[in-house]
Amino acid sequence: MKYAFYLGCLIPARELSYEVSVRKVMPELGVELVDMKGTNCCAPFSIQSVDHASWMALAARNLCIAEEMGLDIMTLCNDCYESLLMMNNLLKRNPELRNQVNEILSEVGKEFKGKIDVKNLVDVLYGDVGISKVKTAIKEPINGLKVGAQPGCHLTKPKRIHFELLRGFNELDALVQATGAESVLYERKEMCCGGPLRDINDDLARQVSRQKLMALKDAEVQAIVTVCPFCFLQLDLGQLEIKRHFNEEYNLPVIHFIELLRMGMGMKLEDWEVKAHRIPITQLFKDRLSGIEKK
Amino acid sequence: MTEKAVLVVGGGISGIQASLDLASRGYKVYLVEKSPSIGGRMAQLDKTFPTMDCSMCILAPKMIDCSHHHNVQLLTYSEIKGVKGSQGNFVVTVLRKPRFVDETKCTGCGICADHCPVEVPNEFDEQLGMRKAIYMPFPQAVPRAMTVDKTNCIECGLCQKMCQAGAVDLKQEPKEVELNVGAVVVATGFDLFDSSQIPTYGHGRYKNVVTALELERLLCASGPTGGHLIRPSDGKIPRKIAFIQCVGSRDRRFGTTYCSSICCKYSVKDAVLIKEHEPNTTVSIFYIDLRAFGKGFQEFVNRAKSEYGVRFIRSSPGEIMENPATKNLTIWYEDTVAGRIENIEFDLVVLCPALVPRSDAKELAKVLGTEVDEYGFFKAANILTNPVDTTVPGIFVCGYCLGPKTGDIPDSIMQGSATAARVAEVLERV
Amino acid sequence: MSELDLGFMGELANTPRGKGILLCIQCGRCSSGCPVARLTSEHNPRRLMEMVILGFKNEVLPHQLPWYCLSCFTCLDRCPQGGDVGEVMFALRNLAVRQGNIPAGVAAQAKSLYETTRVINPVRTALDKREGLGLGKITTEGLDEVQKILKKTGMDKLILPK
Repeated sequence: MKYAFYLGCLIPARELSYEVSVRKVMPELGVELVDMKGTNCCAPFSIQSVDHASWMALAARNLCIAEEMGLDIMTLCNDCYESLLMMNNLLKRNPELRNQVNEILSEVGKEFKGKIDVKNLVDVLYGDVGISKVKTAIKEPINGLKVGAQPGCHLTKPKRIHFELLRGFNELDALVQATGAESVLYERKEMCCGGPLRDINDDLARQVSRQKLMALKDAEVQAIVTVCPFCFLQLDLGQLEIKRHFNEEYNLPVIHFIELLRMGMGMKLEDWEVKAHRIPITQLFKDRLSGIEKK
Repeated sequence: MTEKAVLVVGGGISGIQASLDLASRGYKVYLVEKSPSIGGRMAQLDKTFPTMDCSMCILAPKMIDCSHHHNVQLLTYSEIKGVKGSQGNFVVTVLRKPRFVDETKCTGCGICADHCPVEVPNEFDEQLGMRKAIYMPFPQAVPRAMTVDKTNCIECGLCQKMCQAGAVDLKQEPKEVELNVGAVVVATGFDLFDSSQIPTYGHGRYKNVVTALELERLLCASGPTGGHLIRPSDGKIPRKIAFIQCVGSRDRRFGTTYCSSICCKYSVKDAVLIKEHEPNTTVSIFYIDLRAFGKGFQEFVNRAKSEYGVRFIRSSPGEIMENPATKNLTIWYEDTVAGRIENIEFDLVVLCPALVPRSDAKELAKVLGTEVDEYGFFKAANILTNPVDTTVPGIFVCGYCLGPKTGDIPDSIMQGSATAARVAEVLERV
Repeated sequence: MSELDLGFMGELANTPRGKGILLCIQCGRCSSGCPVARLTSEHNPRRLMEMVILGFKNEVLPHQLPWYCLSCFTCLDRCPQGGDVGEVMFALRNLAVRQGNIPAGVAAQAKSLYETTRVINPVRTALDKREGLGLGKITTEGLDEVQKILKKTGMDKLILPK
């Protein structure tokens, strides 16, 4: 299994630990990731809101790069996933739109041909690697941990795109359970984390993530597991922001799913990776972290 | 030579009416019904709108007529397997499934059921109540005979031992019979949209979210609660009930883009019924458009508002959340008239699901050689000029299996009679 | 209140993501599930659609309203008519940007995209960390192509200061 690895903007800028965990874990599961060269931003919702034709061309340019590599794309971020997946599907099905986009892309010597598919981490782990292989890779099961899994909006909605791929939070739940942890049902699991409102209306963004955190706390989860780096930011750093603005503490550690998987596979997280979590994870995962002074 | 016999497929009110009309005209009618008893959906209802008559009281005399009429032969617990020939001369193969009970000997006394050790959910009660593996679907069943559900039967033989009429025959085999008929009438009715396809409404997960048909069973005296309106979770009387319209109807996501045409009517009927049962219970109806057409219906709605205090809220709710302790349900909705997002806690929620073609309709259409439309309903030859003919000469169709015309009981009866007239006309002509 | 623009709905319906507006029956299922509508009465997808349908162009386009949307697609998922509310929101924002209504945060991201191919860039410490870990460099490779594209679509004029 080989994929064109599309990193997006947020992860290299703010969540290196996510990238590092992915690069460490995927080869162990038989997945080869080939870095894409010269890609541009996927055109997340903020950019899509500015101009439609630009979205089409920007997203399509990335798809062309993958087509030239002859590989399907694997993304980590839900925003990137939605943008590239939607554009790929739209252009594959609508010849008129395809001609429109290719006219713009001809300026840069590229042409969308519709030869590849776009997948995200959950797609690859669940659909291509498979649950049984993931289970076999678990050397130190994370037993007894009650996890609130946050699939993020664009893993599960809009269903009319995802119907065909049959992705939903059931897949993420199955993956979490494969590590030995328990994926708990909580209220409004499909709800947004509030991320897209960051820098547009920070107050509303905080209020939305606060609703999520309240639901997670009510369900008595011990940790939150995310797939999208935006969700991670909103729910992790977000808890500090909520403490400042609402004077409420949730103390819910947030980790990327790939980190949970990594620990389950017996690999320890490094010091700097542990510190990348604003809500401390040391108590919860003490034996799975290397070089940390146990309090 | 034209056969002066007719096959009616489906023993609901529409098929029953067609059968009776044809039988009185001297035709031999074979009424084939898939389930153990004729009666169909109307048998499951408590009261009909707008007259508020007891449904079974209107239906049962017609069912008895069918069973007693010398021109009607009931083939219940049977299915159509093949059709050959053409108008005037069809040869139909019918599979008579073994009910493991001799209909001619069974008196319907029920001693067998009393002793049967196996209990399973009762389909007639929409899985809300239980029945035994040897059972009669409802007390007024026609024919009045027990049936053994072989998939759940553990073959202990107690029923056979206890039967004083010697009617139980656990060795019964399926039988195929060939019928020679001149025409076929299809009246197979409808199924309900599976409301669990809209997960935010919680049907199947939240105990106190029920469909309208389940509500009818709760209200009906022959139902699992003896007609006492109680909540499934704890048996308490619900004090705040909500109806949600258009669950699946008018919905492009599932292909059921049509309006099912009877739900606004029956939910107002049910609301008034509930208020008469329990004056202290409040009832709210969440609707997008209130389709109260026809004689007397808008007046009925006005009475529901002014005399009974039924609350009409123009909103299609987004989600329902369950309180895990009380099992009460909070509906989140936007009151589109006021323009406010609100939430109200109810203790019982009734979903009004779309009415969809029966799951085996397409297969039956294939066997008959008729067409179905884009929704899966049987297709009329021409909606305007030949509304009860199909594209196959000699095969006619009536009732809700044609789709949501106005679809209520008087219409199904009318269509049954219309089909009977068409059959008679065609067979007399040939 | 300003004059109504009765052509507003048609104008929106003719944009690539706006045609869903024609199917709206104002049932309210979208706003019932909107996470932002639950928190503030200012944002209400159904009411926004209503305002478009009725022609309140000047009450919609110059203001913050279309920008409160999370693009979470809960509304789109639940709409029974294919009204695609979430998509119509994008169409509204596209029109709003053409009128000069673009939040500072979005403008900054768009400018960054034009100047570096990315909407957010790693700070110095992050770049050093990358190097220390032996991860690939973050470059502006492809920038000339991105700029050519954005010039062709005209987005450069929308986001760069005149």
